Amino acid sequence: MGLKIAIVGCGKIADAHVEEIGKIPSVQLCAVCDLEPIMAEQLAVRYGVPRWYSDVARMLDVEKPDVLHITTPPQSHLTLAKQAVAAGCHVFLEKPVALRHCDAEAIIDSVVAAGRKLTVNYWPRFDAPALELLRLYESGVLGAPVHVESYIGYDLQGEFGMAFKRDPEHWVHRLPGKLFQNVLDHVVNKITPFLEDEQPFIQSVGWRWDADAGEPVPGVLLDELRVIIRGAQVSAYATFCAHARPVGQTLRVYGTKNTAHVDFMARTVVLERQQTFPSALGRLFPPFLVAKDYLQQGLRNVNSFSHARFHFFDGMRRLLSEFYLSIEKDSPPPISYNEILRVSSIMERISEQVYPEVYV
Amino acid sequence: MKVLVTGAGGFLGVQVVERLLAHGYSDIRCFLRDRGKAERLLALDESHRGPQLELCYGNLRLRADCARAVADVSLVVHLAAGLKGAPAELFADSVVASRNLLEALQARDNMPLKQTRVVLVSSFGVYGVVSLRRGARIDELTPLEDHPEMRDTYSHSKLRQEQLFWDYQKKAGFELVVLRPGVIYGPGGGAFSNRVGLQIGPVFFHLGGSNLLPLSFVVNCAEAIVQAAGHPGSAGQVYNVHDDDLPTASRYLREYKRHVKRMRSIRLPYFATKMLARSLEAYRRHSQGQLPGIITPYKAAAAWGGNKFDNAKLHALGWRQLVATQDAMAETFTYLRQQGAKQ
Repeated sequence: MGLKIAIVGCGKIADAHVEEIGKIPSVQLCAVCDLEPIMAEQLAVRYGVPRWYSDVARMLDVEKPDVLHITTPPQSHLTLAKQAVAAGCHVFLEKPVALRHCDAEAIIDSVVAAGRKLTVNYWPRFDAPALELLRLYESGVLGAPVHVESYIGYDLQGEFGMAFKRDPEHWVHRLPGKLFQNVLDHVVNKITPFLEDEQPFIQSVGWRWDADAGEPVPGVLLDELRVIIRGAQVSAYATFCAHARPVGQTLRVYGTKNTAHVDFMARTVVLERQQTFPSALGRLFPPFLVAKDYLQQGLRNVNSFSHARFHFFDGMRRLLSEFYLSIEKDSPPPISYNEILRVSSIMERISEQVYPEVYV
Repeated sequence: MKVLVTGAGGFLGVQVVERLLAHGYSDIRCFLRDRGKAERLLALDESHRGPQLELCYGNLRLRADCARAVADVSLVVHLAAGLKGAPAELFADSVVASRNLLEALQARDNMPLKQTRVVLVSSFGVYGVVSLRRGARIDELTPLEDHPEMRDTYSHSKLRQEQLFWDYQKKAGFELVVLRPGVIYGPGGGAFSNRVGLQIGPVFFHLGGSNLLPLSFVVNCAEAIVQAAGHPGSAGQVYNVHDDDLPTASRYLREYKRHVKRMRSIRLPYFATKMLARSLEAYRRHSQGQLPGIITPYKAAAAWGGNKFDNAKLHALGWRQLVATQDAMAETFTYLRQQGAKQ
C-alpha cells in the first residue's frame, strides 16, 4: 500500500491539494481536518474523502498518516509541524512557512531532529516553464547568471483578495508582512536558485498605490512592492504589483551568454540570444528567432493540453510526486532546507523594511 | 418587536427592509458587512420619518459580531449568504456564519430562543430535481437534493445551511420559517440566471429553451419574506417563492435582446446539451479536470431539465404579487440598459 496522506486546514487552497493528491496513483488521501467542523465536512463531502475531523491530534492518532499536508494559515504552522513530526509524519507545508524566520528555522530543526522530511509548496518552481529554464541554466546556455527579475501580479478583486478585504479579522492582516508575506514566496523562491548568498544586500519599498480609494480594512494595506537584492555575483529585482494588467507572473534571467524570459501564465520560455551577425543583420533576425521560440512553445503547450498535462497546478502534482518519492526512497526532498531558509530570511528582511513598526 | 435583518445591505436585503417598514415594523437592526452598502439603507431611513433603522456592521463569521447582532431581537430575517467565490468561502459565509448566528441566539441570557422567530431565505437549488421527469411540478413537498456535491457549490452550501437550521430548530424549538426563492431578479441584480444559458467567451449559449423560469422580482420576493415572517401560521413551514405569469427562458432572452442590447446567442436543444455535458464530463474525467466541470450531466439535468412551479402555498398565506411580471421585466431591462450605457 502507498503513502497515507492527511490534510489539516480546509480553506480554499486545500481544494488544490486534494485534487493534485488524487492524480498520484500510489498514494491515498485518508482524512481531512479543520478546527471548524463544517469546513472539514464540506471538503470531505465534495471530494469523497473517507473521513473528516475537527481535532488534528485525534486524526493523527486514528489515521496514522505518513504525510500531513498543512494548509492552515501560517500562524499555526510551527505548532502543527511539530505535532506532525512528533506523530511520525512527514510534512508538506503550504507557504509561507511561518510568521517569522526563527519559526521557519524551528520547524526545520524539529523535522530534521525527528528524522522526517519536509517540503514547502513552491509549486511554480516545478511547473514546465521553470523546469525548462533550469534545463537551459544547467546546460550552460545562459552562461553565469548576472541579474534576475522576478515579477508577480495580484488581483485584489479576485476571490482571495475580496475575502481578506471584506474581513478585517482575516489572517492575512495578522501576518507581520501582511499581504506581501502571503505572496512573496513565489517571487523570492524563483530568485534563490541563482542567488545563493546567505545575507545579500536588500532594499525594499512598499506603498499603497491608490491612497485615495478608501481604506477597505482597518490598518494599512500596502499593495505595491519593489525590492533590490544584491549578492556577491548576482543581483535581482523582485516586484509585487497589484494594479498592472494583465495579472502576470514572469521571470527574467540575464546570463553572461544569453537571457531567458519565462512567462508562467502563458507557459513560455523564450531565449534572447547574443547576435552573431554583424551590423543591421544582427538587428534583423532577433524578432524572427523569438517568434520561432514562441511558436514552438505554443505547439508544446498544445501537445501538453492534448495529453492532459496542462493543469493549472501541474507543478504541484510534480512537486508532490517528487516529495513522496523522496520519502519512499529516503532521498533528499525536492527543495533543500537551506533554500527554504534563505527564502524565509529574505522575506523577513523585506517585511522588516516595509513594515518596520511591526518588528520594533 | 426588534427585527434583525442580516445581509441588509444586499440586493434583496434593502428591499426586505423597505417592505418591513411598509408593513409597519419600526425597530429594525440592519446587519451588514460592507459599509459601502449602507447608502441605500440610510436613504430609506431618511424617507421614512419615525422609524429608525439601526445599522450594525460586522461579519457573521465572527462570534462576537453575531452576539452584537442578535441582542434583544425577537424576529430574525436571515438573508446573508455567500453567493460567489471559492467553495470554502461559500461554506464559510453561508453555513459557518449561520451556525454562529444560531449559537449566538441560543446563548442569549435575556431572551429564550423559543420566543424568537427565525426566517431563513434558502433557495430553489435545494430541491432534488434530477431524478424527476421533465416537466414535473416543483412544490414544497418535492424531495431535497440527495447528491449536493454533484451540483454547483452555491446550491450545496444552501442545502447544508437549511439542514443546519432545521437541526437547530429541532433541538431548540424556536419558530422557523423557510422561504425558497427561485431566480431573484430586478434593478441591482444580474442579467441572466444559468437557467437561461451560459456566456462562454464571446458567445451566449442559450440552454434554457422553452423551460419556465422561476423568476421572483426582488420586490415581490421581499414582500413574500415579510408576509411569511409576520404570519402566525407560517412557523415550521416552507414556502416556494416565485412570481405568477412566469416567462420561458426563450422569451426572457428575446426581450433582453430587444430592450437591453443585441447579442449573439446559440440555442442548444436539451438533447444536445445532454450530449455536450456527457462529452465534457468524459473529457474532464480523462484529463483529470483539465477543464472545469461547469456542465456535467447532473448539473445539466438540474438547470435545464425543465420543470413547472407551484406557488399556491405562498398565495394561501395571503401573498400577492406587488409588481406584475411584465412590469418587473421592463423595470429590470431598463436598469440593465442604463447600466450598459454607463460602461
